[in-house]
Amino acid sequence: MGGLRKRDWWIAFFFVLPVVVILLAISIFPMMYSFYLSLCKWDIGMGGQRTFIGAGNYLRLFSDARFFNSLKNTGRVLLFGVGAQFALGLSLALLLNRSFRGRSLVVTLFLLPMMISPVVVGCIWKIIYHYQYGPLNYLLNRFGFRSVNWLGSSNVSPYSIVLADIWEWTPFMVITLLAGLQAIPDDLYEAARVDGANRWQIFSGVVFPLLRPVVVIAILIRVMDAFKIFDLVVLLTMGGPGQASESVAFYNYLTGFKYFSMGYASAMSYVQLAVIVAIANVFLRSFRGREVV
Amino acid sequence: MRKFLLFLLAFVLLASVAYASPVKLVVVGDAGHNLKPFEWYAKDLKEKFDVELEVIGVPFGELYEKEKVELIAGTGAFDIMIVYPKFLAEFAANGWLYPLDEFVAKLDPKLDDVTPGYRDFYCKYGGKLYALPYDGDVLSLYYRKDLLENEEERKAFKEKYGYDLKVPETWDEYLDVAEFFTRKAGEKLAGEVLQRDFYGTAYYGQKDQIFAWWGNIFASLGGVYFDEETMEPAINSEAGVKALEIMKEIHKYCPPDVLAYGYEELKDVFLNGDCFMVIQWPCVGKKGADPAQSKIVGKIGVSHVPGVKKDGEIYYRAMMPCGRVLAIAAQSKDPWKAYQVIHYLSVVTSLDDVSTPETGLDPYRYSHFAHPEAYEMFANVEDAKIYLAGVQKNMEKGYPEMVLPGTVEYEETLGVALTRALTGELDPKSALDEAAQAWRDILERFGKEQQKALYQELVKGWRAVGLW
Repeated sequence: MGGLRKRDWWIAFFFVLPVVVILLAISIFPMMYSFYLSLCKWDIGMGGQRTFIGAGNYLRLFSDARFFNSLKNTGRVLLFGVGAQFALGLSLALLLNRSFRGRSLVVTLFLLPMMISPVVVGCIWKIIYHYQYGPLNYLLNRFGFRSVNWLGSSNVSPYSIVLADIWEWTPFMVITLLAGLQAIPDDLYEAARVDGANRWQIFSGVVFPLLRPVVVIAILIRVMDAFKIFDLVVLLTMGGPGQASESVAFYNYLTGFKYFSMGYASAMSYVQLAVIVAIANVFLRSFRGREVV
Repeated sequence: MRKFLLFLLAFVLLASVAYASPVKLVVVGDAGHNLKPFEWYAKDLKEKFDVELEVIGVPFGELYEKEKVELIAGTGAFDIMIVYPKFLAEFAANGWLYPLDEFVAKLDPKLDDVTPGYRDFYCKYGGKLYALPYDGDVLSLYYRKDLLENEEERKAFKEKYGYDLKVPETWDEYLDVAEFFTRKAGEKLAGEVLQRDFYGTAYYGQKDQIFAWWGNIFASLGGVYFDEETMEPAINSEAGVKALEIMKEIHKYCPPDVLAYGYEELKDVFLNGDCFMVIQWPCVGKKGADPAQSKIVGKIGVSHVPGVKKDGEIYYRAMMPCGRVLAIAAQSKDPWKAYQVIHYLSVVTSLDDVSTPETGLDPYRYSHFAHPEAYEMFANVEDAKIYLAGVQKNMEKGYPEMVLPGTVEYEETLGVALTRALTGELDPKSALDEAAQAWRDILERFGKEQQKALYQELVKGWRAVGLW
């Protein structure tokens, strides 16, 4: 029996081994190596030597105004972008959670922005935002408003990125929340109605509490994704004017692959990771406390 | 035995096919019109040199990192590289480029025909030849000569400013002319009611190249990059601050979104007829003469960039940003064949390539300037001569772009600071002080003594050919 168990163990070991090796090679080792790099000064512009400097890169980050500016811009995308995506997504999901003719077609059309390649989304919005020839300013002018400097103003350009992000990713919220809404049994609505609940009471007392797990996951996925926003920044503003719309991911890219300060870029990545883990934890904890029993 | 013979025959056939197939060379460069010659001559190159080209285009602003990542990793991914001269020093110093001197005797690249700036500084490093020129960039002033010659406009200008309307030669005149031609939709321009806003001027506002538009002013005021002796950054000098103040004035007469302008936007605002004048690369003059790309064909004049008046003379300096040279990766599969290809493009076909509006390539050889008839997009040879004379005038007073290791970072940090001043976030002095501090940090990272030696060598070379 013991011998058989030992043989089984070895079979299991060899079955698992390739996966472990692959995971170590492509995930664990790079993570450990990049963490080690974050503790080194390694500017490879001139084939520079790698020098261990401990927390030096992390300390440098705390005095880097450009990094904090990029964090602020990323925070703006999380707050206004994901916030609006959730509000719009929930509203649209509630509207679509009823039977009407052509519903499937409408749902499919809503999904289109999410299905388009991000590069194409960036190009489309670059045309839309064009100061002189863009359709958005044309419409504003038609309704008597002045043209807006969407991409060339340091005050507006960060919000132009947020707006394009809302357009691209609201469909994700719609489809996720719609799936959650459709999983709520009709009996619960009927029971609430029988108890005399009005529409708002049904939404706040039945629908939203049951939808909360889906809401948490949908927002969390979007928050994690939006924290890495890069494509729209590159395509719309290149982080400009100046550094006005640089996101953390974009600044990290510049540091690593334009200035080739690999140690500093690694430290920046780990700080980003810590921030996103912290946000996710706070978010999950705040919702866990209100779970429906 | 029969089977063995058949196998042997098949092996010999396969081996001979493999041996006879052309050498595949991978070319990398900024995507778009400047890679076209590699496509146009692919067949010729295959026939002449038995090479097959695989062309990889990457976005204009990302060429440096794409090339450098592969070079650092030693992947041998590229054979021929379009390199902006500002990367050349760094790539050559790291041993990533193949020195070309050994090939020069075998196949003459006719370097005596190349103007000094491109020959001596954009292709060489440490006395060795690492590249052949491909694109001769220098900034020139392009303006609407039809509007400048309009009697109604001339009269109005004289009434307002007290002197005749003419091509601006100083920055003060540039500001006057830019202000004068800035009009709102509904106002009149040359007797016609404007359907949309018209701007006096525009510039390249994105942070990667904005330094050059500031640099035209800075250089004309006598500015230099570093103090040669101490290597203290000199961009925040009096000349630097004054140049930025002038740029802030210029900014008032530009499209509101000018800080988002790259090459395409700056070209389009002028060629769409929405702007009176721009300082731009020479290809804009060619493209402006092509009806497929321009709404102002026959209406473009070209002159030297403005400057400052000193002792009765105009002192002007035209920045020479960008430029393109053809280099061979040290790990190339076949450097000799790669050299033959770049020689073909830099010597044999270069006149055709710089004289067509289909590329963004600009003249860099004396022979390019000596053949105005080749520039067929112009209405006549006289127009082509005027264009070439304008470009050459700027080239003679060219202000070289730095080609030190780290130049990409120097220029971009300066670009960020310039933009922060132009948006009003910082005053010019504080912005440039910030950039100077960033330059000091970069200097330290790249090694101050090494950078100093290289900079002194550069300046010595610039002086020798009269560019400093």
